[in-house]
Amino acid sequence: MMNKTSMIALVLLLISGVYPFFVDSAWLAIGTTFLVFSCVAFSQDIILGRAGVFHMGHAMFFGLGAYTTAIMNVQFGLPILASWAPAVLIPMFVAFVLAGPIIHLRGDYLLVATIGFNIIFIQVLENDVFGLTGGPNGIFGIDVVRLFGFEFASQTYMYYMAFILLGITLFIMRTLDRSKFGRAMFYINKDEIAAQSMGVSVRYYKLYAFIIGAGIAGAAGSMFSVQYSAVSPEAFDVTQSIMFFTIVLVGGSASLPGVLIGTFIMFVLPEVFREFETARYLVFGLAMILTMILRPRGIWPVRFGNIPNFLKKDVK
Amino acid sequence: MDIFIQQMVNGLTIGSLYALVALGYTMVYGVMRLINFAHGDLVAMSAFVGLTVYTQIFGENITSLVAVITVFVFTAAIVALVGVLLERLAYRPLRTAPRLSAVVSALGAGLVIQNSVMLIWGPNMKIFPSNIFPSTIWSFGGVVITFTQVMILGLSSILMVGLYFFINRTKIGTAIRAVAIDQDAAKLMGINVNRIIMIIFVIGSALGAVAGLFIGVYYRGVTFDMGWMYGLNAFVAAIMGGIGNIPGAMLGGLMLGLFNAMITGYISSQWAETFTFVLLIVILVFRPTGILGEKVAEKV
Repeated sequence: MMNKTSMIALVLLLISGVYPFFVDSAWLAIGTTFLVFSCVAFSQDIILGRAGVFHMGHAMFFGLGAYTTAIMNVQFGLPILASWAPAVLIPMFVAFVLAGPIIHLRGDYLLVATIGFNIIFIQVLENDVFGLTGGPNGIFGIDVVRLFGFEFASQTYMYYMAFILLGITLFIMRTLDRSKFGRAMFYINKDEIAAQSMGVSVRYYKLYAFIIGAGIAGAAGSMFSVQYSAVSPEAFDVTQSIMFFTIVLVGGSASLPGVLIGTFIMFVLPEVFREFETARYLVFGLAMILTMILRPRGIWPVRFGNIPNFLKKDVK
Repeated sequence: MDIFIQQMVNGLTIGSLYALVALGYTMVYGVMRLINFAHGDLVAMSAFVGLTVYTQIFGENITSLVAVITVFVFTAAIVALVGVLLERLAYRPLRTAPRLSAVVSALGAGLVIQNSVMLIWGPNMKIFPSNIFPSTIWSFGGVVITFTQVMILGLSSILMVGLYFFINRTKIGTAIRAVAIDQDAAKLMGINVNRIIMIIFVIGSALGAVAGLFIGVYYRGVTFDMGWMYGLNAFVAAIMGGIGNIPGAMLGGLMLGLFNAMITGYISSQWAETFTFVLLIVILVFRPTGILGEKVAEKV
């Protein structure tokens, strides 16, 4: 028997599967970017929504992945495929090095420290350290994915690659949810002190979430740089980080449909209302306030985390 | 040596502006545990409000003490009103909600204020008239101090000392400290918590308004989106000193201003923000609650 949730999921899967055949190129690009941003939003959700680490610098890891691919391809002439592993591993390593000393800080301190990392990252890009990053203009002319002499060049290919990436991300999230790591993260998020006194290593699991999130964001960044065949610093600045942060909280933290809805509202809707250039962000800010007042836990909040059914029955 | 003293004067000037803004952050955080992300945009707004008040009431070419005082009082009153409205509409409904919801609401409120300023005053840079303060300059050897700098240092010191005594010596100040430690207990002791929070927002916004006006007078060019950077710097200053801690915000502001000025003077302004945040992170690694320690009760 299929329940309502999996029905909705199946319908969404079908719609997004045939989406490229019914839209023009502009909307196809928006669709691809939506999928990429969803991956980033899910990775932000691992850190913020599941592990409960106040993290407002996620665009940095997204940008690290994008710039890894761009620099390896344009500056060193390596194929895109060769940059995939570094585009995941470098953000993970950077996350480990940067977050290690500060992960024990309390919420708001961490928030400002991660904003700081993002600002430092942007200044490094803009000041063109080692002559690799192209300064404020960024890097142009990134290649497409080539495999056995075949070019995945069209926007439709890009869309399906992003689709597969989102699939992998969702698989990782699902695996996390059902593992020891996932349960530990939920526990930490609910009550850090209780978790610690039960022998859960808070520091270890928070860092773990941070590193996994950075890796997924890096992969999405690599995809993003190939889609637009260019990268520039302003695509990865703090404003972007705030967007990912807001996506998770507006949608509903630790909730898969919530994060998708959040991404849709924060990224696709502004594209739809592009004509109302000036008043757009005013309405946007009002909507953020209203959403939080009316639904403080997000539009589609998660229920009970992941308590198995046999436990819930006993409670009744 | 002249450069060093000159940068110190400039740094203290900017630092006292950071300190004024940081006080707004730290007081709100102390009482509500909320990073008021809209505070920086309030500061930017006050520069525009002040400019309009000045040109509308007094015209372009008047330099008089009465005019300056009127502009400051008027702007502080308007911005304080906006601050109270902000708390009423965007934060009070979320007081019992998860903490991050209020952060999103604050980010949204910041967007609303920033874009309202853009819609009202336009997206271009506005220039403050140069004759709000007399252009007197004192020079000691190679060190130059302007009248504006003296005014900034003088007035912000007076405000900060006044605030310190207000918080520590008056009945309302005691009530503010009580609410910061335990809201429920304060309520049981007959303190009107809503009123205290309103007072916090009035004081914080008015101090921010003074800082915003000084930013306009000192740098002369103001843009609708400048609030984010000033706000972030001031918040960093508040955290460096120890959030929720009023002398901490003052110390953090002055320290960050001095540090910024030295970096700009001796290394490069291109890396100013990087150095700011490296300093912040180093401080947090060794003193996780800021230099003077936070004055926020952690609930278990």
